[in-house]
Amino acid sequence: MLNSDIIRGHLDSIILRLIFEKDRYGYEISKEISLRTNDQFQIKEATLYAVFQRLEKKELIESYFGDITHGAKRRYYRITSLGKAYYRQQVEDWRMTKEIIDVFMEGLE
Amino acid sequence: MKSIRDYVNEMFNEIPDSEQKDIMKQEIIQNLEEKVCDLMEQGKAEEDAINKAIIDFGSIEDIKKELIGKQPGVKNNAGLHLGYSIWGSALIIALSVFMNFYYTPRVIWFVYPTFAVLWWPLSMYFRWLKLK
Repeated sequence: MLNSDIIRGHLDSIILRLIFEKDRYGYEISKEISLRTNDQFQIKEATLYAVFQRLEKKELIESYFGDITHGAKRRYYRITSLGKAYYRQQVEDWRMTKEIIDVFMEGLE
Repeated sequence: MKSIRDYVNEMFNEIPDSEQKDIMKQEIIQNLEEKVCDLMEQGKAEEDAINKAIIDFGSIEDIKKELIGKQPGVKNNAGLHLGYSIWGSALIIALSVFMNFYYTPRVIWFVYPTFAVLWWPLSMYFRWLKLK
């Protein structure tokens, strides 16, 4: 299971992306991350909720309580317009970073 | 599924109480219980499922940092302390000047307490500079 510092630096973007697609709740997000990466990356729940807290503080996401399931109300997260702008900026930054790093990581046997 | 609840409660013990904490605790308990249900559906025994959920949870440190950073009380009061020290020392100095010239106009002694009192705003000033 990969859990590198490089990924850790992009957790905000990963989670914003998943919430961007549709409103989701905590466990759904951690499941989705494992599923999409074929279990190569699993997020620790502790990390996940710390990120939620941080993103909410920065007003990039907001939360609301959904319908009752499993005996309690699920807490869903929704992206704000600020969050969308931030995510797009992050995508742009990543594209440029990738190009730069590739210059030094590719092509040498 | 008492054990998940116990585990989460125990973990959050060291974090100071707040509304945020309670909401997050409920959220985590609920999500972990759902995970345990999923794991059991995949054929794990309840105990194994609970153990796996707890191990996967990771360390509480990250959450602690986010939650505690939000607490009020760590806010910067240095400016207030500086203002208080300036006003306080000005009043004390004014009093000694008054006493000096009213009771002993021939001996100028108010300079000594003035220098002593000035340490107070001076130290507060540097504290304020540091925290600014």
